[in-house]
Amino acid sequence: MNRASLRSLAVLILSLAATAARGEVYQEPGAFVAEVFGAAPAPKVLWLTRDRQAQAAAILGHPPAQLRQRYWSEGRKSVWILEETGKEELITAGFVVVSGHIDHVRVLVYRESRGQEVRQSSFLKQFKDAKLSAGDRLDRNIDGIVGATLSVGAMERMARLALLFDRLSRESAQG
Amino acid sequence: MSPKLVLLLFVRRWHARIGLAAVVFFLFLAATGVVLNHGTGLGLDKRYVHAAWLARWYGIAPESPRHAFRAGRHDLIAANGRWLLDGRISGEKFPQPVGLVELPDMVVVASSASLYIYGNDGALIDRLERSALPGVPVRAIGSGGKQLVLRTGAGTFESRDALSWRPAPRDAIAWSAPADLPAAERERYAQLLEPGISVQQLLLDLHSGRFAGRYGPLVVDLLAAFLATLSLSGAWLFLKRRHRRERH
Repeated sequence: MNRASLRSLAVLILSLAATAARGEVYQEPGAFVAEVFGAAPAPKVLWLTRDRQAQAAAILGHPPAQLRQRYWSEGRKSVWILEETGKEELITAGFVVVSGHIDHVRVLVYRESRGQEVRQSSFLKQFKDAKLSAGDRLDRNIDGIVGATLSVGAMERMARLALLFDRLSRESAQG
Repeated sequence: MSPKLVLLLFVRRWHARIGLAAVVFFLFLAATGVVLNHGTGLGLDKRYVHAAWLARWYGIAPESPRHAFRAGRHDLIAANGRWLLDGRISGEKFPQPVGLVELPDMVVVASSASLYIYGNDGALIDRLERSALPGVPVRAIGSGGKQLVLRTGAGTFESRDALSWRPAPRDAIAWSAPADLPAAERERYAQLLEPGISVQQLLLDLHSGRFAGRYGPLVVDLLAAFLATLSLSGAWLFLKRRHRRERH
């Protein structure tokens, strides 16, 4: 067994993991929120109760990672910064929802080694004006990208989750 | 015996020999290939094998925990990208903590660029990254007057809910500080927090031969050559037999 080569392999794995953990930051989430609102309003919180966790899990296919979801809103506009795993790493995306419809989407941090095409506007514009239909599904089909199937799936799940959270936040605001 | 028959017997004999010699390897490569193809669906990238010998094999020097952070009823020990918080082991790739604070209804762990907020039952409430923090790097975490306090590169800030932050007074703050672990505990925690290799990575290295070091991929290349030889010799034997049948 050659120790040096395995050590090099371990260093390579660790450096790839470190790079993946840092990811490609296209825009800091705070800057995205500030861009949407001018000056970022104070964050609000949607607590994920058991019912809400179940609804989120039905969309994600797994329980949500945390029990408190931060968001920002003014009037009928809300911004959701969400994270979901594409193939192996988390994708961070910002969703702007206006009156229950997606206004626009941006990929903020991409950590996967391939599939970066999901950040292109030609893909993201498919989400424009999307809303939830029966079964908390999008009211349209999102065309996939060859070689980025899992990232496309993650983006679609996050879009559904943003719309669900927006609806839940408005329902809880109405009391 | 005609030269054609000699060649036929030679090819048939070596086709059988190579097939028999490599059957275990071929089955292994086929099995690992199929599993890798469905690795994400099977969650192999999220499963880890934790073993000191495997870490040594990969040339990873296991990090031994040297100290613990304690706050009220809670304690945190970290090593090798893993946390042991109140006896529960976290996942992988966690950052090095700088402190732990207990507040009335939450436990907060800080790293230099993130905050992890847990409920008293250990459930993760929220994870705040650098853009949600009042400043980075976080140099220390503490509490004062039921407020969470962070000392950062941009100043000292306090918050009751880890959502909105304001500049904090610099006195009457109980800062979290590491406590040295006795040698016996270090050893016990080192075993609990052994470094891990993801199952997907392990399978990939076994499949490609890289697990065996520098010459592993060459062995797999040789097996690929054997497989190509078997394909060609098998096709040749098949066509030869068919050709003979047609002639009769």
